[in-house]
Amino acid sequence: MAALLEVRELVTAYGKIEALRGVSLEVQEGSITCLLGPNGAGKTTLMFTTAGILRPRRGSVRFGGRDITGRAPHAIVGAGIALVPENRLVFPNLSVLENLHAGAYQRRGRSEIESDIERLMLRFPRLRDRAAQNAGTLSGGEQQMLAVARALMSRPKLLLMDEPSLGLAPLVVEEIFRIIAELHRDGTTILLVEQNAHMALQVAQHFYLIEQGQITFSGNPGALAEDEVIRRAYLGSAAH
Amino acid sequence: MLLDLLQNTIDGIAAGASYALLAVGFTLIFGVLRRVNLSYGPAIMFGCYAATWLHLNFQSGLMVLGLAAVAGAVLAGAYVERLCFAPHRAGSAIAAMVASFALWMQFEELATLVLPRHVYPFPTLHEGPPLEFFGLTLRIDAIAVLGAAALICALLHGLLHRTRFGLAVRATIENPVAASLAGIDPARVFVLVFALASAIGGIAGFLIVATHGQVTPMLGMWSTLKGLLAMMLGGLGSLPGAIVGGLALGLIEAHSQWFLGPQLRDLVAYLLLFALLAANPAWMTRWTTSRSAS
Repeated sequence: MAALLEVRELVTAYGKIEALRGVSLEVQEGSITCLLGPNGAGKTTLMFTTAGILRPRRGSVRFGGRDITGRAPHAIVGAGIALVPENRLVFPNLSVLENLHAGAYQRRGRSEIESDIERLMLRFPRLRDRAAQNAGTLSGGEQQMLAVARALMSRPKLLLMDEPSLGLAPLVVEEIFRIIAELHRDGTTILLVEQNAHMALQVAQHFYLIEQGQITFSGNPGALAEDEVIRRAYLGSAAH
Repeated sequence: MLLDLLQNTIDGIAAGASYALLAVGFTLIFGVLRRVNLSYGPAIMFGCYAATWLHLNFQSGLMVLGLAAVAGAVLAGAYVERLCFAPHRAGSAIAAMVASFALWMQFEELATLVLPRHVYPFPTLHEGPPLEFFGLTLRIDAIAVLGAAALICALLHGLLHRTRFGLAVRATIENPVAASLAGIDPARVFVLVFALASAIGGIAGFLIVATHGQVTPMLGMWSTLKGLLAMMLGGLGSLPGAIVGGLALGLIEAHSQWFLGPQLRDLVAYLLLFALLAANPAWMTRWTTSRSAS
């Protein structure tokens, strides 16, 4: 079976510095694939390049068999990829409800959008309580729920999640991972970038290690001892 | 004395209504682009000169002149957007501002080439005598300007808060990157907002020249200065602030002209802005900081 997302030899640079130095990876339809690696390894750069915020210098991104390399972010949303960015990036001065409507910007059909909002409010009851509040008044965990819900409003075939547990309390992190597992059970394909390797390996079917802009390991969660994964995910193999 | 104060307040609000419209247009552009468009006023002047040309050559009616002013301002605004702002979207704010200054000069030169005299007459909205009550006078055209300004602000509020396009604009104002991740095309929003702001500026310019009864090439600089001043008084980047700032500027001018004379009138407004910038109260920079923090 062909992968839903195929990244081939991707090179993305900031000026002269190459943050991605020929990254290739695949995400199978219906799976949770996890990308682990230390800070500065290129995880967010890969997410931004896939979502169209950054343009790659070389290489390609194929989605559902179609080449989407270098397309604009809104076109990539239209193709069926939604990114939940690091630090969430909700619209702080828009209400929770308006944030959700913004996520459905490219969709037509008012009643379907309304029923999707209704379903998401059931999944995220905290958002229902705060529907009319400005997103900026929400707690970090609630903003993360909102960022996920906003991304789901575009009905993506692939959900990119960049460090969804960043800066959240342990209980909230558990809730986020429970939601990730639920989304997976409902058939959503997820590419997950995480610092929390322990939690990530529990939900993922496949994982990649990225170090200094290159994939250094790829396998199933049992393929490498967890303490080895964690050490390399946090410190990189240079720290042997 | 009390009567004078009341009369100044009425005059100030009347003048402030058109400043508010200028500031609203400025703020829309600043809000989405985070760029100052110095050519905003000159684009308005271009529209008003187009209307004046129609008036002089064809004696067109007020409706046609108003439409011509709006169409001219939108056309000139689109030209400014393409030349100054589209190429510098991710680049330097200073480069875009300087480029917009260069186009300002173009518009002034073009206007004086087509209509070389310094002053041209412009038909007024209303010819009759002003309303008089309790010793106060109220010009009919001032009421019309105030009504038009209120209507435009109400329509704009509806557009921004009740429509899909408005949601896209407000999302882009908050964070263009996040907006693009939601599926909104910020580049398209930029262009449409520029056109919208230019149209509002065109209406403001038309109302101003129709109140003054004349057009001069100074209109460009005048509109940029008044709009910029009102926008900054209202706290850079907030639409309700722009309306308040415009009305405040009108009131400050009317009262200081009465108490200190016309020579000091403009100075008072600039001194107040200087004092506000020096004191830097939180509401003035609320918008510019909220975006960098997100």
